[in-house]
Amino acid sequence: MIGAPLFVGTALTLAATAGVLLASSAPAPAQQPPLDATHVYLRDCATCHGAEGRGTNRGPTLIGVGEASADYELTTGRMPLGEPTEPVRRHEPAYPPAMIAALVAHVAGFGGGGPDIPRVDAAGADISLGGELFRQQCAGCHSWSGTGGALLYREAPTLQPSTPTQVAEAVRIGPGTMPAFGPAAIDETQLDALVAYVKKLQHPADRGGASLWHLGPLVEGGVAIIVGLGASLLVIRWIGERE
Amino acid sequence: MTATRSRRPRPDADEVVAAERRAERRAILAFLGCAAAAGVLAVVYWTGGNPQLEGVFLALALGGLGVGFVTMGHHLLPQGPAEEARPPLAATDEDEDELEEEFERVSVLGRRRLLLASMTAAAAGLGAAILFPIRSLGPKEGGTLSRTSWRAGLRLVTDDGRPVEANAVPLNGLVTVFPEGHAGSADSQAVLMRVDPGVLAPKPARRNWSPNGLIAYSKVCTHAGCPVGLYEAQTHQLLCPCHQSAFDVLDEAKPVFGPAARPLPQLPLAIGPDGFVRATGDFSEPIGPAWWNRR
Repeated sequence: MIGAPLFVGTALTLAATAGVLLASSAPAPAQQPPLDATHVYLRDCATCHGAEGRGTNRGPTLIGVGEASADYELTTGRMPLGEPTEPVRRHEPAYPPAMIAALVAHVAGFGGGGPDIPRVDAAGADISLGGELFRQQCAGCHSWSGTGGALLYREAPTLQPSTPTQVAEAVRIGPGTMPAFGPAAIDETQLDALVAYVKKLQHPADRGGASLWHLGPLVEGGVAIIVGLGASLLVIRWIGERE
Repeated sequence: MTATRSRRPRPDADEVVAAERRAERRAILAFLGCAAAAGVLAVVYWTGGNPQLEGVFLALALGGLGVGFVTMGHHLLPQGPAEEARPPLAATDEDEDELEEEFERVSVLGRRRLLLASMTAAAAGLGAAILFPIRSLGPKEGGTLSRTSWRAGLRLVTDDGRPVEANAVPLNGLVTVFPEGHAGSADSQAVLMRVDPGVLAPKPARRNWSPNGLIAYSKVCTHAGCPVGLYEAQTHQLLCPCHQSAFDVLDEAKPVFGPAARPLPQLPLAIGPDGFVRATGDFSEPIGPAWWNRR
């Protein structure tokens, strides 16, 4: 059959069709005997942040950080740290939601104000506006696909596992080295739009099949040239050899 | 592999006819396969579509078409090489004589004077035309490169024209700002940040430029003019995404890393009685990369 390699070659060119599906799983909150938030705070947080939240030489003050900051750090599992020198990274939350809420209230009780947990309503938000804002304000560090990036050895984490509330909290408080974006920079409507766009980035419609890790047009072009053109060249050579 | 090979011993007529019939059948099969795949492609598209399936069936359809054509070309069409006799190309003696006569009658050399005159005219015209672009080297830019749209008293607005309220910029906050009435202006764009006033130690000349820790610099990198829009709140550094220049926000935005050689120009600020942030003048120096006679 003359055309068999032609079939195979063309099919190969188009066969990178394995879509990557990211399945997220929520851990079932463990049923524990009720523990007092004050007790947990003194056990897990006070070593670095001080019993009154005033901070020590091991950790910053919690006065004035606001509910948004406490909720962000605890729900993303960035806090508590095992050791003060540990890098602050995303983990499974250390506490069930009810305990986190109690700890957030405890930290807010130290006073000083600070931003509240933002209420986001991504339904019906303007995704194209969100995309514009994302490319202007976020993509420089978190990359165009929200998969995170690095600049001068400084890492910006991926946004894939973030909940809408966590995204909004991060925008408002500026955790770690990220700047904070107040209402002057991103107002409430724009924040909803931004969160809606990040949600879309978390479940992209990869129309082409393989996402190639969302590394961008450079990688996609490279694969197209090496695999696509390579297969085409092989087929052309095979056809041309007939004599 | 069933293809006919030319070095095979000469086949008899019956065998040729049989082989052609087989090839014809294969081509027909391939074309029918193409039609079937195209039909399925249409159905897949009609029923909602799936890029991967559509690609596969398109490949099958085009592949079938190709196989059909190749089979036809190899087995059913007359095989070369074909030759066509052509007449000799040499001119006759009469033609040669006629050309020679013609050439001697109309001599190019007899018109040399006119030729030289027209060549001189061409050179003179072109030379004169080249003189005119000299005009484009002037006039002097007259300071337009040294000034932006910032004026004392202008409010800071965002790119959609909303005035920036001092309270709406949190600690470690970052906003891209423009002069009121010039939102989107390329040379006037600036980044407004709020740092802890305790860590800010401005020099006497700029003591009143950063009220309540609000501080603004030109967003145009002094290296190659990229937007310096990345702010690292913990290290108080502004980063340029193009060539990784870093500027120290606490120290008049002097470059601390990368190819930029000059600090980002600072915008003097004040908070008005209405709570909005206003500029108290233009940038501290010309913005952006250097140019030929920049002082």
